[in-house]
Amino acid sequence: MSRAEAAPAVPLHDRGPEPPGAALLPSPSASPAAAVGPHGAFVALDLGGATLAGAIIGRVDGRWRLLAATALPAGCDPDALVGLLVDRLRAADPDLAEATMGRPVGGREPGHGLPRLVARSVPAATLAVIAATERTRARLEEAATGAGWVVVAGSAERTDPLELTRMATRPGVAALLVGVADPPDSDERDLAAELAVAAAGIAARRPGMRIFLAGPIPEAPLLDILRDPDLVRLAAPARAPGEPASSDLRIALADARRGPTDSRRAIAAAAGSLARVLALRVEILEIGVAGATRILASPSPDGDGGSGVRVEVAEAPDAALFRVSSPGAIDRVDHWFTQGLDRARLRDRLAELAMAPWGDLEGDGALLRGAALRAALERLLEATGPVLGDGSVDLVIGAGGAWSAVPGPAAAHIIADVIRRPGAMQVAIDHARLLGPIGTIEDDAERDALVADLAADLLLRLGTVITPRGLRPNRLAGQLALTTGGGRSEVDLVAGGLTLVDLPPGASGTAELSFRGTPDLGPRGRRFQVPVTGGLAGLLLDLRDIPLRLPERPDRRRELLGTWEAALWPERDA
Amino acid sequence: MTGTLELVAPRALLVPRPRVRLELQPGDRVIAEIGDVVRAGDVLAERIRDARLVEVVLPRHAADQGVPLPGTWLPGEHAQPGRRAGTPAGELLFQHGGRRRLATGPHPDHLSAPADGRLVEVHAGVALVLEIGGPGLVATELLGEPHAGRLVLLPEGSDPHLALDVALAGAVVVMPGRVDAEALTRARAMGVRGAVVGSLAERDRRDLAASAARQQAGPHHLASFGVLVLGGYLRRAFPSAIQAILEAVSGALVGTVGDPPLLLLPADRLLPFPEPDRVVVRGGQAAGSEGRWLGPGGPRRMRGGVVVETGLVILDDGRTVPIAIGDLERFSVGAANQ
Repeated sequence: MSRAEAAPAVPLHDRGPEPPGAALLPSPSASPAAAVGPHGAFVALDLGGATLAGAIIGRVDGRWRLLAATALPAGCDPDALVGLLVDRLRAADPDLAEATMGRPVGGREPGHGLPRLVARSVPAATLAVIAATERTRARLEEAATGAGWVVVAGSAERTDPLELTRMATRPGVAALLVGVADPPDSDERDLAAELAVAAAGIAARRPGMRIFLAGPIPEAPLLDILRDPDLVRLAAPARAPGEPASSDLRIALADARRGPTDSRRAIAAAAGSLARVLALRVEILEIGVAGATRILASPSPDGDGGSGVRVEVAEAPDAALFRVSSPGAIDRVDHWFTQGLDRARLRDRLAELAMAPWGDLEGDGALLRGAALRAALERLLEATGPVLGDGSVDLVIGAGGAWSAVPGPAAAHIIADVIRRPGAMQVAIDHARLLGPIGTIEDDAERDALVADLAADLLLRLGTVITPRGLRPNRLAGQLALTTGGGRSEVDLVAGGLTLVDLPPGASGTAELSFRGTPDLGPRGRRFQVPVTGGLAGLLLDLRDIPLRLPERPDRRRELLGTWEAALWPERDA
Repeated sequence: MTGTLELVAPRALLVPRPRVRLELQPGDRVIAEIGDVVRAGDVLAERIRDARLVEVVLPRHAADQGVPLPGTWLPGEHAQPGRRAGTPAGELLFQHGGRRRLATGPHPDHLSAPADGRLVEVHAGVALVLEIGGPGLVATELLGEPHAGRLVLLPEGSDPHLALDVALAGAVVVMPGRVDAEALTRARAMGVRGAVVGSLAERDRRDLAASAARQQAGPHHLASFGVLVLGGYLRRAFPSAIQAILEAVSGALVGTVGDPPLLLLPADRLLPFPEPDRVVVRGGQAAGSEGRWLGPGGPRRMRGGVVVETGLVILDDGRTVPIAIGDLERFSVGAANQ
């Protein structure tokens, strides 16, 4: 593959100056090693709402490998971060640094000019939704929220034009969505024209405001009043409640909000590559301080007999890490927090973290993040469940800044606490925040090849979680026999708790589970054989209830949660 | 070493000649015009208190006069007994089907300029934009109304419940230390126009908002009042750079605005600015300390097991310590006209 073919994969404006000898540096395409030579490196940058993550990826022995990675608070200079990584790589392994980045010439560090893949989180913007009826408002609101917009909404049926105008012109509203069903319901027909006029009145007050028209809303009133309106016509909302993830309206609204290098959009592309390369059903749970996204990618045979992939994306702005404005959200953080804290103080600490997400990392600040992450994950699953369902997957990946503030095993515990599905799943996190930058590569084949090369470095494997349903608590439930390359071990299973089995990163084996009853582990049965892979947390046999039932009394609940937390997060009390 | 200083996230301290938005509601009547040079306290608009929607039929000769644009202020018409009902004056929301929807109501309140500047944009019913002559000290939030007044600093460690008296009426008072909703309500009752605080807890913010809402709903209004929060929700002392600026403008006429949140400072005062390598510790065990950046300290495992990048800082007490870079901030000058 030539350089010219690969070049569009990288946002050109984000590439640094080409260093001397650039011909030796490959573009971030995973071409056969022989075609591009043994040397080369590039930088991956993920510019998140709270975090700036960077990594150097270099070609070692004909394969792309992760050489260095770190993260800093957003607002830091990306060049300074790259400089830090280059210096660190050169200090740790000068030969490798020289082989991949070249040698400093005349005081000029070629590592600073490496090509860059850059993904940026586009913060959730506010969309004002105006509909003719409450039915249509609910559907438009659902589509817009799933597309990542923060929504303020009203309908002509319930809200007077003065209040609608106030709502749509309040500070922070970036765009206006006006809609009726197609064809309009009987009670919407007369209102469509009036809605268009009202929208024109709103847009006249906010020059440059983007206006989306969904359904048969006439454009004429807008064109009469506005000189050059920024009008976008979209599909009408679904006739029935429950806007599908792949609906034209949702996709168009998502595209309108995000740019081509948006990290959430890019992570979806990377999820597709992971599903194709690993031949696994992949679920990515991306949570940051500005928003959250759930992505499902499943391999599916395409029409040509080849291997295609089906990717579904749903966003949930309310599931952002420290956003606790929705009713009951603060209670859920309190529910998961293992340290006693009065409600007012808890609210203040979360509000402070929303302002300064990198603060308060020590001591119980880390535990508070863990509790906030569990609550955010619950909100994400609840918001996206109606669209994406709750089916089992093979590999669950935590992505986004929220996961980098807790140790790996604790992240596995958080996933096990919140995702209560019968079955077995591998768990990993996007520790170097590479999924976003890699997802900006437009060509599927190039992206797949890079993912295949990087697979071992791309994800931090946390282990395997096995969760049976239907065990009788506090009784001997059965036995596990784990067979790995290193031998065979047997463990008694007691229902109602977590059982940890050491299975280090890189190890794999087979778990044979023999139960006394017939629990549900996907299918129901007495004996199961499950392939397992290791990780920082190892093999986690989660024999607790589905759904998880915790004591009502706060002190008992904290004690129980603390016991489990201590097993997977021993440094929590350090 | 300052070559690696860019690893520390900057916090804007001052914004030169900021553009500030003053919020309007549909029905508010703008008096000033674009290009007007205004002084602090000049009335810019008449504010509506309880706007209501009125639907009126088009006047008889309206068709000959063209269609007014939304946002246009339309004068009222007297009733003609037996022929025509009168129409109130108001702001046009839109015109459709031979009828006009107007936002109207009494205008008992005034929107005044919070500082000297120039009116550069008017968006009817949405906002006015002023370009301010002097710099703005960056804050995080304004709770309440923009205002202007003489800046008074209460002494460090003073109890605001005791230190506030009627002599401060009309002033903007800087309250160091712990401030609660009760102290702020008392300040308002004393005629203080505004308060500047380092932080304010969520509970106090809600109490303050509820108190303001009760005032607004009552028949007798107190003068507008606002609280400018320079930090967040947890109690912290002002960083020395902010304290130095506040002391430099003590006694001068200042203003507060919420969009963006700024303390508007006089243009004629010389303001101190910290050294570029000065950093403030905003979290962790050394929270509140200040010092000088020495360079990267490498990744370290913090209490709780999280591994983060650190920086080496020589604190003002002489200790050199590694501190998580996420807990550090340095001050910078913000972009003009934000």
